[in-house]
Amino acid sequence: MAIRSLVIALALGLSLAFQAFAQAPDANTLVVAQSVDASKLDPADTGSRPEANIAAHLWGTLVQTTSDGDIVPYFAETWTTNDTGTEITFRMVPGLQCHDGEPLTAIDAAYSFNRAKDPELAFTGNTPGFIFASLGFVEARADSDLDVTIVMEQRNPIALGLIGEVFIHCMDSYMAMSKDEAADNPVGSGPYRFIEWIKDDRIVLERVADYPFAVEGAFERIVWRVIPEASTRAAELMDGNVDIVANVSPDQAATIDASGRATVQAVAGTRRIYVGFNLRDEFAASHDNPIAIEAINNVLVRRAMNHAVDVETICTQLLGTDCERATGLVNPPNDPPDLEPYAFDPEGAERLLDEAGYPRGADGVRFSIRLQSPNNRYLNDANVALAVGQYLSDVGVQTDVDLLDFSSVYVPLIIGGNMAGPLFLLGSGGATWNALYDMADLSRVDAGTNYTGWDNPDWFSGWDRIAATTDEAEQRVIVNEMLQVFYDDAPWLMMYFQPDFYGVSTRIDWDARRDEKVIVTDATLR
Amino acid sequence: MTPPSVAQTVVTGPSRTPAPRRDAWRRAWRSLTKAVWPLLAIVVLLIITVAAFAGPAIAPKDPNRQNIINRLQPPMQVDRAGVVQHYLGTDALGRDVLSRLIYGARVSLLVGFTAVFIGGALGVVLGMTAGFVGGRIDAFIMRLADIQLAFPFILLAIMFLVVLGSGVLNLVLILGIGQWVTYARIARAQTMSQREKEYVEAALALGARRASVLFKTILPNILAPLIVIASFNVASVILAEAALSFLGLGVPPTVPTWGGMLAESRDQLLAGRWWLAVYPGVAIMLTVLAFNILGDWLRDFLDPRLRGVD
Amino acid sequence: MWQYAISRILQASVVIVAVTLITFLTLHMSGDPTYLYVSERASEREIAQVRERLGFDRPLHVQYLSFLGGLVQGDTGRSLTYRTSAMDVVLERLPATIELTIMAMLIAVTFAIPLGIVAALNRGTAIDGGIMALAMFGQSIPSFWLGIMLILFVGLGLSWLPISGHVPVIEPLLKGDLERAWSNLPNALRYLIMPAFTISLFSLSRNARLVRSSMLEVLSQDFVRTARSKGLKERAVVIRHALRNAWMPVVTMLGLEFGFLLSGVVVVETVFSWPGVGRLVFNAINQRDIPLVQSAVVVFALVFVTLNLVVDVLYARLDPRVRLS
Repeated sequence: MAIRSLVIALALGLSLAFQAFAQAPDANTLVVAQSVDASKLDPADTGSRPEANIAAHLWGTLVQTTSDGDIVPYFAETWTTNDTGTEITFRMVPGLQCHDGEPLTAIDAAYSFNRAKDPELAFTGNTPGFIFASLGFVEARADSDLDVTIVMEQRNPIALGLIGEVFIHCMDSYMAMSKDEAADNPVGSGPYRFIEWIKDDRIVLERVADYPFAVEGAFERIVWRVIPEASTRAAELMDGNVDIVANVSPDQAATIDASGRATVQAVAGTRRIYVGFNLRDEFAASHDNPIAIEAINNVLVRRAMNHAVDVETICTQLLGTDCERATGLVNPPNDPPDLEPYAFDPEGAERLLDEAGYPRGADGVRFSIRLQSPNNRYLNDANVALAVGQYLSDVGVQTDVDLLDFSSVYVPLIIGGNMAGPLFLLGSGGATWNALYDMADLSRVDAGTNYTGWDNPDWFSGWDRIAATTDEAEQRVIVNEMLQVFYDDAPWLMMYFQPDFYGVSTRIDWDARRDEKVIVTDATLR
Repeated sequence: MTPPSVAQTVVTGPSRTPAPRRDAWRRAWRSLTKAVWPLLAIVVLLIITVAAFAGPAIAPKDPNRQNIINRLQPPMQVDRAGVVQHYLGTDALGRDVLSRLIYGARVSLLVGFTAVFIGGALGVVLGMTAGFVGGRIDAFIMRLADIQLAFPFILLAIMFLVVLGSGVLNLVLILGIGQWVTYARIARAQTMSQREKEYVEAALALGARRASVLFKTILPNILAPLIVIASFNVASVILAEAALSFLGLGVPPTVPTWGGMLAESRDQLLAGRWWLAVYPGVAIMLTVLAFNILGDWLRDFLDPRLRGVD
Repeated sequence: MWQYAISRILQASVVIVAVTLITFLTLHMSGDPTYLYVSERASEREIAQVRERLGFDRPLHVQYLSFLGGLVQGDTGRSLTYRTSAMDVVLERLPATIELTIMAMLIAVTFAIPLGIVAALNRGTAIDGGIMALAMFGQSIPSFWLGIMLILFVGLGLSWLPISGHVPVIEPLLKGDLERAWSNLPNALRYLIMPAFTISLFSLSRNARLVRSSMLEVLSQDFVRTARSKGLKERAVVIRHALRNAWMPVVTMLGLEFGFLLSGVVVVETVFSWPGVGRLVFNAINQRDIPLVQSAVVVFALVFVTLNLVVDVLYARLDPRVRLS
């Protein structure tokens, strides 16, 4: 009897559950799926890309970078730079306010910058860690209710773009909260207000009424869902439950397009994917394969390796799109016009290797080398690294590919003493608006981002020459000379600018950006 | 380390093995000629074992040789010359699925058997010691078991693999360590009951060393249930390897395993590239099925009391 | 009874100290976790400052003892990534995982028992063979694969069930919001079915075989034969006598089952975007968020100890021969 009633109950339950299920969002709600959740929502301490995406809807900035790479006014109407280029003064739009009703003035803007740098709070996010370090930030001060001045160590041609990444928040509300309280009680200043946050599940934002920079037809609500598994994200998109999906796997693009519910947008991203040659003496001293070290310190070998890899085929086959091979570390259109990418030429590579003194042995191997790569950090990184390994092995450089977890193993290896390599695959964020931004990776020999430890004086002396002139045309000449040095000396095995794939529901109009940011303030219902 | 050899040591085991036990093995052997399923299971396992050992000789291609221009080809695709290059298709890097499947047998079985052997050996030594010596040592070992059980296995595995890095050796070690408690509990209970038996007391009275009594006299008599457990365990280890591969903690992708192949297929399922999942999936399923059937059958003969334990 | 309680508490403390110590040592073994909490442009001096602030500059034994000191007061420290109380972060995710494991356990038991009984009662027939073949099949499918297939076919293809996500029931219950818990329930169940089934399939299959064999054993025993010979109906025999005794091995399994299901949780929470502890702790290990991993480990150990206690008590209830000692 018990069994029978149990079976009946189960059958009832199942029939209830298996009714056709509809959960599509309504016309006022936009659903965006990212692979990881924010861990905190503090405007001064955003870390990961997904976190910064949400923050960009909660808080405004002094200026904005458009998807075309232009700098446009936002909270600041106008700005002026002093003669030495170390101070930029912004005139703010009057009448701004934060979501709790507190007026937003130049004092708040200055506070936002200084709070991120406050040693007491000791933030480690993007603003203090990357923006301020790149900016040479000294301090921010309010000159009046509407004028805020940002002080830097020296003139910085990319200052505006960097300042446009700093989220402006109100002083009173944040002074009233401890660092820990601020982590999940965001008080915004941007187009959307914070409604709720169910950790690892969703963050819900609602449009601010009467927002001065509101876009016509923008969605009332944005739901940021967390969906870690790529197949699950694609399935939700095709089922119509999610409108925008970042990081679509290229191998799933055709299926998503065929569903009629969504299309995949491929954009040429700005992240530079390259294989670095670890040229550091400290690394050489500790590495157990001296032949490989000796080899990569030979410029002929580095050029040979550049010729050995068929980057175009890697792009079309593994990344699902055509891409132009990089000539250096600068994104188009700012790369030097007369540099041709290294051609895929295995015979030429073999000749160079012979010439460099590394003939094939009896087993066909010239020398063996290790290539380390993160796994699941960049688009198809593991497969790309394996493919590079195959191409190098094909010309006699026996390459063992070592795939490592990015955050727990690879980052400590790279940051904690640059011990990755001898070959290591890396992706470095870039920009389209200025060649110098991309070149800043190698601003000094001891710059944290000079992962290869490259120290060619012809390159590094170029920086002083650039600083000595304010004439853009003259700067451009020097830039091109430097990039020629980089090209010839080849401290990187130059690969490609990573394409990014976004799945977009057919019910909305939205264009993905090139800079990996997901900004949906201009998304509208079709 | 393979089941046949283990079985053999028992069959021809030490002379003190009581007669009924040996009879059980003999009966088992005889029944095998009549039972269809266990026989099939053994045939399947034999084929897989042969594939594992003869891998390089029978695999049509180098399992790691990429050809990204020919990636994701369905099975039995005919090339321009009218020849089938890849009987089971190619994967996302254009590697030959059949060859990876054959080489995968080697690593999957190696991982399965070695992990079970490590876990079994550890568990048996600790369990028998606990059961034989008793007292504080027993309490200590059983507390160790509690600690192990309070630690969800996957957490322990993830921690070790994230920290030590993933590789065949680390994988085998952690999967083995995850198993020992089951063996220890059974070995302990069995040893406790055997210790009171006359033949053990006789051996001790004759002045045999305790360790020798433990491993030469008692062990052969309690081996049966342990082998049954082991045969079920190989199956669950193969599945655990697949789960860890899914989390990115399996063996490196240059070492083909069935679990790893299945994990790599995850992004291809949506696009209907079934061959990447079906072949390794079927290989895992057949192996697991075979070990389970074998375990069931061994249990019925060796130790009917164990029915249902796995 | 008191003695029993005290010895149990002592055992539990030993277990918790041991698991936290193992976790602590393992996570520190791979070197300095500081590098995960600095920007890629940080200088040596900045790195040293962060190290000091996170407390990683202290000797290991000092770090662990200070953790233990906090633990005694119920404080497991602050999460390095979430910047709030690590225990709170874990407890926030716990209800979702509990829902998943309870549902999985329910499926594993409620389907396994009828299937096992039916198989046992029809021993040797096609029904028995079919059920056992299914059970074997269920024990050989990796859960992530089953999960993705369910999403593609049941979720996307047939649109019978939601593809991923979670609707809370326990969380509103804990907050005293009975109304919301009740109104969420039907939807919550829909979201639960696929992930819970995915986790439970292995256990379900194993339990079905377990019930079948213990049922067979019980059915062949004297008291059942006596009952039958007294002319009792077959169904009454099964329910009144056999079933009660066949429960025993299943109850024994339940304690271990939870730990086992928890192991499945990491994978399944990832596949179905379930906001639970499994995914949290996996990410925390990757991020070397030691206080967070420790809190989760403590919670898991407590759940395990409690469940075993419950199983022991249940066991003593079901079988008068077993006494708590």
